[in-house]
Amino acid sequence: MKILFFTGKGGVGKSTISAASAWQLYRKYRVLIVSLDPAHNLGDVFGVVLNHKKQRFTDSLYLKEVNLQKLCREYLQREISVLTHSYRYLQTINLDTYFSVLKYSPGIEEYALLTSIEETLRSERDFDYIVFDTPPTGLTLRFLALPWITITWIDRLIKIRRDILEKRHTIYRIRGILDDTETILSYDENDDDILKRLKTLKGNYQALSSVIQGKDCGIVLVYNPDTLSLKESKRLVDGLRELKLPLRLLINNKIQKKYQTMADHVDSVMQSFAPAVPIQRVAFSEGLLDGQNSSLYNIEETILSPFEMK
Amino acid sequence: MERDMILSMVQWVRRIFADFDAAHREKATALTVMEMEELENIFALLLLGSFAGIPSPPTFLAVELLPYMERELQILSKRAKDSNDMLAEMFGTIGIE
Repeated sequence: MKILFFTGKGGVGKSTISAASAWQLYRKYRVLIVSLDPAHNLGDVFGVVLNHKKQRFTDSLYLKEVNLQKLCREYLQREISVLTHSYRYLQTINLDTYFSVLKYSPGIEEYALLTSIEETLRSERDFDYIVFDTPPTGLTLRFLALPWITITWIDRLIKIRRDILEKRHTIYRIRGILDDTETILSYDENDDDILKRLKTLKGNYQALSSVIQGKDCGIVLVYNPDTLSLKESKRLVDGLRELKLPLRLLINNKIQKKYQTMADHVDSVMQSFAPAVPIQRVAFSEGLLDGQNSSLYNIEETILSPFEMK
Repeated sequence: MERDMILSMVQWVRRIFADFDAAHREKATALTVMEMEELENIFALLLLGSFAGIPSPPTFLAVELLPYMERELQILSKRAKDSNDMLAEMFGTIGIE
């Protein structure tokens, strides 16, 4: 199974290009295309209404729009149920009102995105290709960085937790239990809920991180032949390199004949940022302008030819 | 009668020794207990630091662990309450009256 992430500045044509790629791939492979962008237009591109559920478009092409709000809500709901389970006395208080604030806290959205990617990768094993259409640069880089940041934090927390457990063990050994009313604090690594949870989380993130850094995953960077898009693309290339994520293909989209020199210039600069990454050019399509979705299927270039399955 | 008295005496002495033992064990661990509570306090602070303006891990990590953090939270709030008399707290633990 190959996993592709289409990234780029807002408006460069990520959704169109990812949809066109999926359209070109489906004739040979089983393809699932997932839109992670909160401003969904995957349905618009294919001219169908998607209700946040996986939907069959043809026998080997499935579409899915991820509902971020719903994901956040579900995630918090799950946490609340665990919370009320462990803090019994809280059951009388209506926690929902308190937690409804949490969905505005920074990070929850990225987390929900990451969770949905993880879930998709875990459950959709029947496809040859999974194509992700991502939100604009900022959010994308943040959620792609998340596994790494989280693992760093988890490592620190595990270390402190181990110290605590060691101290508890020492205390238990010296002091024992003085009377029956005393509760024993868990001192064994396998008894401590927090450490157990931390370890599980670390395992999950390591697995995810190794998948998105692996050889079957590729980031496709879409840009336009203009300076603004060039600058932002450079930031994305740098960000991806820092996160050790594999950039596999550059797509210069919306090239017009009259701006050919600009396109050449942008391509040469991009190539210097990311040497040895193939560049694919896609011409500006007049047909797409007036919203005839059928034109999408007529993109002449074979977009993913450098990334086809071997 | 005399035998009973001796028995109760022995029990009494035993109790004294047991209490001595417990007291000494308690004293021996006092510092470690403080250290542990301090660590637990730090753990909670690290996770929930955003409330106090400390850079914190991704929010969801805090949310994820929150269900198991009852004890740490209690220590955290106890610390916050005693924080205006930290010196007394410290002296108390070390045993300077």
